[in-house]
Amino acid sequence: MENYWNQEIECMSREDMKKLQDEHLVAQVKHVYENVKYYRDLMDEKGVKPEDIKGTDDLHKLPFLSKADLRDAYPYGLLAKPLSECVRIQSTSGTTGRRVVAFYTQHDIDLWEDCCARAITAAGGTNEDVCQVCYGYGLFTGGPGLNGGSHKVGCLTLPMSSGNTERQIQFMRDLGSTILCCTPSYAAYIGETLHDMGYTTDDIKLKAGIFGAEPWTEEMRRSIEKSLGIKAYDIYGLTETSGPGVAFECSEQTGMHINEDHFIPEIINPDTGEVLPDGEVGELVFTSITKEAFPLLRYRTRDLCVLSRKKCSCGRTLIKMTKPMGRSDDMMIIRGVNVFPSQIETVLIEQGYSPNYLIEVDRVNNTDTLDINVEMNPEQFSDKVGDIQDKERELAAAIKTMLGINPKVHLVSPKSITRSEGKAVRVIDKRKLHD
Amino acid sequence: MANVRQISVFMDNKPNQLSGVMQIIKDSGINVRALSLADTKDFGILRIIVNDTDKTVESLKNAGYAVAVTEILAISIPDSPGQLSRVLEILGSDNVNLEYLYAFTGASDKAVSFVIRVDDNEAAAASLTKGGIIQLTENDIAEM
Repeated sequence: MENYWNQEIECMSREDMKKLQDEHLVAQVKHVYENVKYYRDLMDEKGVKPEDIKGTDDLHKLPFLSKADLRDAYPYGLLAKPLSECVRIQSTSGTTGRRVVAFYTQHDIDLWEDCCARAITAAGGTNEDVCQVCYGYGLFTGGPGLNGGSHKVGCLTLPMSSGNTERQIQFMRDLGSTILCCTPSYAAYIGETLHDMGYTTDDIKLKAGIFGAEPWTEEMRRSIEKSLGIKAYDIYGLTETSGPGVAFECSEQTGMHINEDHFIPEIINPDTGEVLPDGEVGELVFTSITKEAFPLLRYRTRDLCVLSRKKCSCGRTLIKMTKPMGRSDDMMIIRGVNVFPSQIETVLIEQGYSPNYLIEVDRVNNTDTLDINVEMNPEQFSDKVGDIQDKERELAAAIKTMLGINPKVHLVSPKSITRSEGKAVRVIDKRKLHD
Repeated sequence: MANVRQISVFMDNKPNQLSGVMQIIKDSGINVRALSLADTKDFGILRIIVNDTDKTVESLKNAGYAVAVTEILAISIPDSPGQLSRVLEILGSDNVNLEYLYAFTGASDKAVSFVIRVDDNEAAAASLTKGGIIQLTENDIAEM
């Protein structure tokens, strides 16, 4: 029996959903045009007036917003409500440039937490559950979002934040946590630490995990599920649209339902901006139709994925997005080939290595080099140098088959690659130093 | 069979790796009888024979090292010219393929000992016995 947080919305007919979206979009465009000079200028430049937008069919007429716009308008340029009505800010890590600051009214916080409550319910959460939130708390949206959602559902909430992994496991055991929320790389680390401490899945009561905020593979999902004895659910979101909970996974585990009563998705050709039909790979674009303080219209996420309206066995009618193949920020172009860390991760797990790895890209004599440090699997270690070099060559060949370019694989000691308690650092691109 | 257990440890090619292993061995009160270090550009393999193999393996595994235990042959020959050459001739004439070997010193200054790693221990041991070469047991080495 599937549980829903808001069955009326989550299982709404397509016609009713479109009607609701049309209505909210028209009002939102008017709100933005009147209150956000930055976007009004973009609309005027394009010759689009609020009256031209009569519903979702007219969405394509609106101009796009990109991360560059958010940086230009930093900090208040896209704010649509007076600060007196705002109650919170959250912010991105700012690792790829100037940070992005998002504003929330109480209404915005409520709808965001409501989205997270849908995600927790879809993962089987009820008020009987103990929900351990090990996303970072603070400016990062992960902790506050899931914390709020967990409160709404009525779970006993453990606001652990990230770090101090042995203490995480101690709380997990002592309080009988049933749901874990964190990044997938931290979930993997918690699983590894659990077993290092001499415990097994019999010593904990976890049944589900809600993992997001970084790209992860299907292979990594299976490995976390095994190590923690749980079912692992994906969750998607970004600070620009509110945070985690924009989309969430159900028991079918074949993609994430988008909360399209709040966020209308589109897939576009990233080069031309042309809207693509459902089923085609392209860049995901979101329009927030209910947020008050920071309502971004047609925001380009730089995430590449596919949308699908195929009937879902969970009964939800909300449109589904595939796990992003990678954020275009994560994509590396090496010797002219597009490479995502997740492709390398897939091969590593298939070949029996740990999902802890470090990719180093550099340029030597005008040629890109790709070096991958992978932790030695103690089971495969032998006393002969040649055996280990053979393993490195086998792994390099498997990665070459996947990517089409030749990497250099270096086996390193088990557990020597720094574990992540938040978003994992997988790539060091030294080419930037030469530019 | 007089096979001796050798412990191999995977080591990254960076400072303080060997000292980390030796610290653990020291803290466990273990004595290293023989040692060799194979190095490549990326990594090294430390190979040791100790007076308490089980305890060493357990300590190193607990510390998170990748450890392998391999059975090798150990021999003792007089410390005089031409002795190793004679051993190699014996093995060669029986078509035994040598992976690696390294020397270590025992209690006597008139003899020198060698670790011999081959693919087929049984065949190599038979060949050495036939050639009259003294083979050491793990116990012999521990008590040196």
